[in-house]
Amino acid sequence: MMQRSFLAQNPSVLWFISILAVFTVIVTLLSEVTGVDMISTSFVKTLGKTLCLCLVAIAMDVVWGYCGILSLGHFAFFGIGGYAIGMWLMYARTEGIVLESLAGQPIPATPAEISDAIGNQIFGVVGSSDFPMIWAFADNLFLQLLMVVLVPGTLALVFGWLAFRSRVTGVYLSILTQAMTLALALYLFQNDSGLRGNNGLSGLQNIPGYEGVSQATLSIVFFIASAVALGAGYVFFAWIVSGKMGSVVKGIRDNEARVRFLGYHVESYKLFIFTTTAVVAGIAGALYYPQAGIINPGEIAPIASIYLAVWVAIGGRGRLYGAVIGAAFVSLLSSWFTGGGAPNINLGFYVIQWTDWWLVLLGFSFVVVTLFFPKGIGGLFDMLVRKQS
Amino acid sequence: MLRRYILALVLLFAQPIGANAQTLQDILQTHQEEVLKPGRRTVGVVLDDLVASGLPQAVPFLEAWRDREIVQRESDGLFFAVAEDGDTVALRDLDTNEVQTTAPDTALTEARPNGGVRRAIGDALVQFQLSDPDIEKRQAAVNAIARSMDASQLAPLQASIEAESDAALLAQKERLVGMLNASFADSTQDRIAAIEALSGDLSVDVRAVMNTILATSAHVALTVPDGANVAQILDVGTDLTPAEAYDRLVAAELAPPLVPKSAIREALIANISDGSVGGVAVAELNTDAARETAYDALAAAGSVEPRVTTQAQADAVAAHIFYLSYDEPDPSITDVTRTALTAIETKVGLSQTVDLGLDALSLASIYFLAAIGLAITFGVMGVINMAHGEFIMMGAYTGFVVQQFVPDYTLSIIIALPLAFAITFGAGVAMERLVIRHLYHRPLETLLATFGISIALQQLAKNIFGTQARPLTSPEWLDGALVFNDVIAISYIRIAIFVLALIFLALILYVLKRTRLGLEVRAVTQNPGMAASMGINPDRINMLTFGLGSGIAGIAGVAIGLYAKVTSEMGADYIVQSFMTVVVGGVGNVWGTLAGASLIGFLQKGIEWLNPSNTLAAQTYMILFIILFIQFRPKGIVALKGRAAAD
Repeated sequence: MMQRSFLAQNPSVLWFISILAVFTVIVTLLSEVTGVDMISTSFVKTLGKTLCLCLVAIAMDVVWGYCGILSLGHFAFFGIGGYAIGMWLMYARTEGIVLESLAGQPIPATPAEISDAIGNQIFGVVGSSDFPMIWAFADNLFLQLLMVVLVPGTLALVFGWLAFRSRVTGVYLSILTQAMTLALALYLFQNDSGLRGNNGLSGLQNIPGYEGVSQATLSIVFFIASAVALGAGYVFFAWIVSGKMGSVVKGIRDNEARVRFLGYHVESYKLFIFTTTAVVAGIAGALYYPQAGIINPGEIAPIASIYLAVWVAIGGRGRLYGAVIGAAFVSLLSSWFTGGGAPNINLGFYVIQWTDWWLVLLGFSFVVVTLFFPKGIGGLFDMLVRKQS
Repeated sequence: MLRRYILALVLLFAQPIGANAQTLQDILQTHQEEVLKPGRRTVGVVLDDLVASGLPQAVPFLEAWRDREIVQRESDGLFFAVAEDGDTVALRDLDTNEVQTTAPDTALTEARPNGGVRRAIGDALVQFQLSDPDIEKRQAAVNAIARSMDASQLAPLQASIEAESDAALLAQKERLVGMLNASFADSTQDRIAAIEALSGDLSVDVRAVMNTILATSAHVALTVPDGANVAQILDVGTDLTPAEAYDRLVAAELAPPLVPKSAIREALIANISDGSVGGVAVAELNTDAARETAYDALAAAGSVEPRVTTQAQADAVAAHIFYLSYDEPDPSITDVTRTALTAIETKVGLSQTVDLGLDALSLASIYFLAAIGLAITFGVMGVINMAHGEFIMMGAYTGFVVQQFVPDYTLSIIIALPLAFAITFGAGVAMERLVIRHLYHRPLETLLATFGISIALQQLAKNIFGTQARPLTSPEWLDGALVFNDVIAISYIRIAIFVLALIFLALILYVLKRTRLGLEVRAVTQNPGMAASMGINPDRINMLTFGLGSGIAGIAGVAIGLYAKVTSEMGADYIVQSFMTVVVGGVGNVWGTLAGASLIGFLQKGIEWLNPSNTLAAQTYMILFIILFIQFRPKGIVALKGRAAAD
């Protein structure tokens, strides 16, 4: 009963799920796996990554578009999720390689010798061979998957609790979250951070235990997993923002003081939204980086979180499909322009090369969107709907 | 040059009047064998005679000898310097220094001093060079001594002091003699006096001399021997771990060596028979305990060395005494040196604190300069401008472009400062009119729109100027540093930035508090509606204020460009710190920005001092500190009170 009314209230959810499902099926059928091979493996990976970016964009939309907290730290949570899964991927794969190479020895290796050899393989690049404390659970997939959820969640919980209880709001909160992101990125850049510093974690596209499976198959598996995660995330957030809770959250966005005077404990709502979205960002990151193959601290830099806000703003804040459209549109367009896919424009006296000028275009179009289309691309749907009625 | 000429003349004429009118050739003839095939021991005789003779032509001879350019004519045994090499060699007379004769290559024997001898010759040369008429050669000789001090240099250096005419070099020589005396003087009294005389000197080389005197070496024995100048008795467990202690015992051959894990493994592999070692199956050897059991079984059978038991290790360590003793045997000297070194180190510590303070002050003034424009646009007007960093960058590139047209660095800086202000003022006004004005009541969107401008400007700068760093050269009078002593020094450019920061502080305070514009700015900030009803045009005031804040960012850009490289990303490096500075200091208050910049500058330097190897970690901890700080003082250090504080 409850479920039906929720879906009835949100026709867009059904629409979105159907479109996503059709899209997923089409891509799968056209991929290398079925033998049709119309979509290359690398493009399947790009699409899978884009779906993960859409998921984190939805999270960003909930925290910013619905709750009014412009967090410039959600891409950091995304990165933490990637690091958490990356630690297991890297550890397990290196363990496999090390065990194989030690198998030929005349006497079996002791656990200490195995651990030393793995440590040497992983941390040799930063001149160390000891496992730092944070790698304590790296050998266990289940615990490390738990870390994907727990670490961003705990960080968001502690940070949010500190910030919200001292009533840091608006741009101050944005700057504070940006500072948090910067601190995290700077920390990870150090060689003794225990996460291989500047080198980051690499070789994540190889899934331990599935060495025999081709990248084409793996890419489709991750693509479908990303699509499922996106669909689930969409339904979950649509449910959160639609009920009574959604009304309170939107009330906080529009006038925090008034909601507080109505007797709601504003801080708890904000903290819930902030933490939940951070966890979803972490999950999105954990799905993204095995497809990207490498993660390094540069990915977490404050600018990435700002781009996230850019996607949501261009797509249209305060509507979940807007965030999806924005993230997919801008990130695919961005890789088309910077990847040299866009034709250069010859002005006669000057050739505009899009690899150089794309960011200029993006920056100014962003100003234009903010000034003239505050509802973003999603606003176009409103116009369509209004014309029909 | 004239002085050198005269000196050479004097030497030339003085020599024949000297007691023994011997020539260089005479001396060399008495030591034919040693000159031709010098050994490290035999060369001393020749060198002593040469030094004793005091002949000026000995110096070019020694140089030639060191460079293997001395030959002997086989027909009569006379020595010559090679003037021109080839099949026929031109020979230079050693006394007159004139090319006298030639000889075929085959009729000559070359003197071949080896490496050790050439070093000895070099030392002897230093003694000559110490009294060389050419001040550059004397300076080089003094530098050579300072680089590697040695007892043999003391006497010649002391002898050269009296004749030294250059005051600066004399001071250096005396200081060097003091240091040499501290290490190598004959009597204990002389050394103690020399050491005490040095105790006011903070320089690194004096500290190095003292540390050499206080050098210790680690020893281990059953009891401390008599006459050892013991520096410290080491306590096993606190000063060194039991494992280290045992390693030292092994090194001193007072205990049998441990069998390392790798050796255990090797021994086990070597003794595998029928799939087991020492009664343990090979497959079970995957723990250290199992390997040790197997190894002990092998040791019991006598096929390998037994392991040293933990008990035996502990007993051996307990039976011995571990201590550090000074290499210098005389305790009175080490005592005096320790006292002197402690005094020096106290002074060095104090100076370092002052130096750190100066560093922090200059960092604080850079942060202040970067943030002061923001203090106006963000602090006073409440407009968040993420492109503020790019205004800093525009200012710096303005300086760079001006330097391309005006080659005189002083003049170009004087032109660049107002030009940078004008350009960024214009950019700020344009941005306010076109973008920010429409977003005054949507601060989060201002943040995003200005961020869009920021990435566009950054990429534009990259397209125009390229990605490599561009230099902004400071005028010559800003090169160098103001040196207070060996530890405290501050470069003039940092002083200039500090002064600039002070000027800006005064200027902005004046504009805001003492001018009509400032009054109107404050009025519009507090209540735009009321200000408008008093006849103030809020739009115009906002535009001017924003322009002023941006213009100051441009000037800050020129200053920062002088001290760091100009890149398209330089603004982004400062933007987060600048916002921190304003937020920590307290929004809406110039004094607050000053307090914030000082806090952040001193904090960062302080953390760097605690953890000197890692500036990244220092920045991380600083940002964490700021996040916590804002928890406890959300309104910053200087919080506005009363009506001004209203949102």
